[in-house]
Amino acid sequence: MDIIVTVKEVTDPNIPPSYVKLDAQAKRIESPFGVAPVLNGYDENALEEALRLRERHGGRVTVLSLGDESSRKSLKRALAMGADAAILLSDPVWMYADSATVGRALAAAIRKIGKFDLVMCGRQASDTDAGQVLYWIAETLKLPAVSPVAKIAESAPTNLTVHRLIDGGHQRLRVQLPALLGVSSEINEPRHPTMRGTMNAGRALVPGWKLHDLGIAPAVPKVELRRLTVQTRTTKAQLIDGSSDAERGIALADKLHDMGLV
Amino acid sequence: MAGILIVGDLAAGQPGSEFLELAGAGAALAQATGEPLIGALIARDSAAVGEDCLPPMQRLYLIRDPELRHYGAASFVAAARAALGASSPSIALFAHTLETRDWVPQLAAVLDAGLVMDCVALSLDGDALIATKPVYGGSVWGEFAIRGALRLATLRPGVFTPATPGNKPEVMQLTVEPIAANAVNMIDEVAAAASGGINLKNAKVVVSGGRGIGGAKNWHYIEGAASALNAAVGCSRPVADSGWVPSAYTVGLSGSSVTPDLYIAVGISGAVQHLAGISAARTVVAINSDADAEIFARADLGVVGDYKEVLPAFVKRVEQLKS
Repeated sequence: MDIIVTVKEVTDPNIPPSYVKLDAQAKRIESPFGVAPVLNGYDENALEEALRLRERHGGRVTVLSLGDESSRKSLKRALAMGADAAILLSDPVWMYADSATVGRALAAAIRKIGKFDLVMCGRQASDTDAGQVLYWIAETLKLPAVSPVAKIAESAPTNLTVHRLIDGGHQRLRVQLPALLGVSSEINEPRHPTMRGTMNAGRALVPGWKLHDLGIAPAVPKVELRRLTVQTRTTKAQLIDGSSDAERGIALADKLHDMGLV
Repeated sequence: MAGILIVGDLAAGQPGSEFLELAGAGAALAQATGEPLIGALIARDSAAVGEDCLPPMQRLYLIRDPELRHYGAASFVAAARAALGASSPSIALFAHTLETRDWVPQLAAVLDAGLVMDCVALSLDGDALIATKPVYGGSVWGEFAIRGALRLATLRPGVFTPATPGNKPEVMQLTVEPIAANAVNMIDEVAAAASGGINLKNAKVVVSGGRGIGGAKNWHYIEGAASALNAAVGCSRPVADSGWVPSAYTVGLSGSSVTPDLYIAVGISGAVQHLAGISAARTVVAINSDADAEIFARADLGVVGDYKEVLPAFVKRVEQLKS
C-alpha cells in the first residue's frame, strides 16, 4: 500500500498564549525565541497510522510538506519516525497562500509522485485551524475524502473500514481506495524517532519543489488574510474572595449556584 | 437573482438553535446589501416544519431525501447545491458543526468558492465579505477577505445574536439529484461510549485536572468533584502523557473539544494546546495556586488557592445546595 502523508510545521502549541508572536506583516504566527517549531499533531497521527498500514501491507510512505526551508527539520523528523521519502514544496509565491492554493499545489505534487493508494492528512493544522486543505487536495485529485477519522478498524489492499466521528458518536464506513483520510488524534499515539532512524534521516536528501516544478499556474486567491491580532483579554477572571481556601471553595459554589450552573 | 442564503438542519420539525443565529447574522448582511434573506433546511426526518419556529425571511427551501437521514458528505453537498441552484445567492452561511466542517469545504472546493470556517464576526467591505475567526486555539484572531460571485462562511454557534422566530415564509420543496455509486459506504452508526458515565464531548459540566494536581494518587479530588456535579472528567495533556489517567480524558488539540455550560479547570496552567479545546465552553472556572497562571486570563471565575482545600469545601457546599 503506497501512502502519501501531508504534514505542516507549526509553532509548538504547548506554550502559553502570552508567548505567541506575529511576523512584521501580522500575517503569520512565529515561533518565539528558543521554542522550536513542531510537526502539526494531527499530521503526526496521520504519519503514525500510515506507518502501521505499511507494516501490515508493505509499500511506501512518502511525506509531503508545503512550507518554508525550515520545514526540512520537520520532514527529517518524519523520516526519522520511519517514512521512506520526504519532499518539500517551497516557493515565495506560497508565503501567504490560502487553503485552495496550498491544496492544489499539494495535489499537483501528489500527481507528480504518481503512484499511491491512499492520501493521509491531519484533520486540521493547530496554527491556522482552517481545516480545508485536505478537501482541496481531494477535490483536485477527485478522491473521496473522509474526516475526522478516529480509527482504522480493518484494512485490505483495496479498501478500509474506518470510524468517522459525528456529533454524539461515530459512523463505520467502508472506503474503496484510492481515497483521502483526515486523521484525528483519537486514532493513535505517534511513535518517537529511534536513534537509528534519526541517523538515517540525517543523511537522507529532501528534494525541494517549486511552483514551476509542478506545472501549475499561480491562482488568484479567493480568501485573503488581512491581518492577525493577538487576543489580549481585557477582562481577567473575577477572583473569588474568602478568608481561607475552604471559604473560597464555598463562595465559588454559592456563586455558581446563583448563576444557575450547579 | 441574488440573496443571502442560510443553510441549516431540520429535525423533528424544528431547525437547530444555530439556524436563528444564522438568520440574525444573515439579516444584517441582507440589510447591508439590499439582497433578500433566504433559508434552506435539510430535513433529517419526515416531520413537517413546526409552527412559529422560523425567523423572518423571504423564502424557505425545504430539502427532503431519505439519503439525508444519516450524515454523508456527498448527499449533504448535493442538498446544498440544490438550494444554491434555486436561489443563486451571493453569500451562503452555515453553522459550524462536526458535520459542516466536513462537507462545507467539499462544497467550496467543488464550486471553487472562497470559504472561512468558525467565524465570530462578519462584515462587508466593497465586494469582499470580511470574516473574523479564532486561530491558534483562540489566542489569535484572523481577519479574512472572501471574494467571488459566491462567498461561504460557517459561524461559531453561540456567538451571533439570534433572530426572533414567528414568521411564515413561502416554503418550496426541493429534491436532491440521485448520488452516483460512491466509494464511501456507511455500515452503521455507533453512539459514543460514555467514559466515567458521562460523555465528555456532550457534557453540560466538565471538571478537568492538570499537572498541578501533583500525581495520580490525588486524582480522586477531580473524580469526587465531577461526581458531585454530575460532570464528565477531563484532563490536560501532561496528565495523560504522565499516565495518571487514560488519554481519552484529554481536552485540547490532542484530545476532545468540549462545549459545556460550565468548565472547571483545576491545576491547569492554560497552554494553547488546552485552551483550543475549551474555546466553546460558556463559563470557565479556574482553580490554581499560581495567581499568574495563564488560565486566569481565559477563565470567567477564578480561585487562587490549594485545590486540596478548595475542592472538598466546594463539593460539600454544592451537595448542601442541591439537597
